[in-house]
Amino acid sequence: MIKLNNISKSFGRQQVLKDIDLTVEKGDVVVILGPSGSGKTTLLRCVNYLEKPSDGEMIIGDYHLNCKYASKKQIHLLRQKSAMVFQQYNLFKHKTAIENVMEGLLIVKKLSKEEAIVRSVALLEKVGLGNKLEAYPSQLSGGQQQRVGIARALAMEPEVILFDEPTSALDPELVGEVLSVIRKIAKEGITMIVVTHEMSFARDVANHIVFMDGGVIVEEGTPVELFNHPKEERTKQFLKRITPELNYNI
Amino acid sequence: MKLDPSFIWTAFWQLLSAIPITLLITVVSVVVGFVIGIVVALIRIYKVPVLHPIAVAYVTFIRGTPMLTHLLLIYFGLPLIVDALAVKMGWSFRSSSIPMIGFAYISFSITSGAYMAEVIRSGLLAVNRGQLEAAYSIGMTTTQGLRRIVFPQALAASLPNLSNSVIGMLHGSTLAFTVSVVDINAKAQIVASTNWKFFEAYLAAAAIFWGLTFLIERLTAVIEKRIHVYHRGGVA
Repeated sequence: MIKLNNISKSFGRQQVLKDIDLTVEKGDVVVILGPSGSGKTTLLRCVNYLEKPSDGEMIIGDYHLNCKYASKKQIHLLRQKSAMVFQQYNLFKHKTAIENVMEGLLIVKKLSKEEAIVRSVALLEKVGLGNKLEAYPSQLSGGQQQRVGIARALAMEPEVILFDEPTSALDPELVGEVLSVIRKIAKEGITMIVVTHEMSFARDVANHIVFMDGGVIVEEGTPVELFNHPKEERTKQFLKRITPELNYNI
Repeated sequence: MKLDPSFIWTAFWQLLSAIPITLLITVVSVVVGFVIGIVVALIRIYKVPVLHPIAVAYVTFIRGTPMLTHLLLIYFGLPLIVDALAVKMGWSFRSSSIPMIGFAYISFSITSGAYMAEVIRSGLLAVNRGQLEAAYSIGMTTTQGLRRIVFPQALAASLPNLSNSVIGMLHGSTLAFTVSVVDINAKAQIVASTNWKFFEAYLAAAAIFWGLTFLIERLTAVIEKRIHVYHRGGVA
């Protein structure tokens, strides 16, 4: 379970997250929606501590952290509870696909090389890249790179996988292959928080939708609640612009 | 005076004995300079309090003064410091027991450290921030991320400049003869002092330097080819 209490974040004077509370149960697929600048990516990055929250507390699994007084060591331990899939993939450029997946297993989980290889091959086969083990990121398409990124995150067996707009940098034709991999692992009961603009994906795969705007959570609920019966005006406005076919009454 | 081609050959063979000294000075100054460079570059990039202005001052001062000046400052300044310290602390060690080549090692390391710092800094800045974030995201520490992910890529990016620095230090090592270290160039002077055929001797020295530089260039090309598999930068 992941629990965020009163998470706040400011860049200088500008407050981008205001007292965010969010609970994610084990096995949940939470999709965060919102216009750009709403703070959704910042929130996701705070969970992985790539951004340091200014205030609040975080509970991931059995690990509890008060953000205001977090030490380096605590941050390091918290980070191991989550793994991130980046918009720009961020694969280690000087390592092959299999080395990318093995890196965390060897260095962080301290597995033996043999075991790391076995697990990495299995994960890359799972994301459909069993034939690209020795390819460098520069030799892979965007969709393939992102699938390696997903395998790398899965390898760490984190409490939660964070997806930061995983398909935004992809050609429209490659979006499908990445989404189907995410769908597949969602069905296996892996907890995930996804920031995305793919509405149909959100509706099909998520069991909880969070709508953010201006650094606060405006509304949250099941996909049916949020897409079919949004309560807040701001949510309706946003959904109307993104999915005009639903024709909300504002 | 006429050119004496046969003496070029004679001098060439005699100069070979001085190659180890030249290489030793180059390797020591490059290796120590590399370590200094990494530390200084990291201090500058992370803006470490207190150390940051010192690192900036070090780089500006060293790059702003000639290599020969560093050698002379170390040669005349270091003994003062060492002897003063020795008297104060009651050591039996005196500056007179520092070998001449020691001054060259120390001063050239300081010189190359400043240049290396900038080369390495540019390499580090060429690595996308996302690489370190990805390392963090799978639970690596800053040290692990820097060592395993950022440095290899930074080195690849700064390789052409690094080889430039190595060549610069190789050629700069000729200055060591001002403190009576017999490198290739000094040896040429000695070889020619008996028959005044300086031109021939220096031609031989030039050939050796060119040969050594050629080796460094080839070595760089080999490494470049190996990393080109993943590192495809710029317009190529």
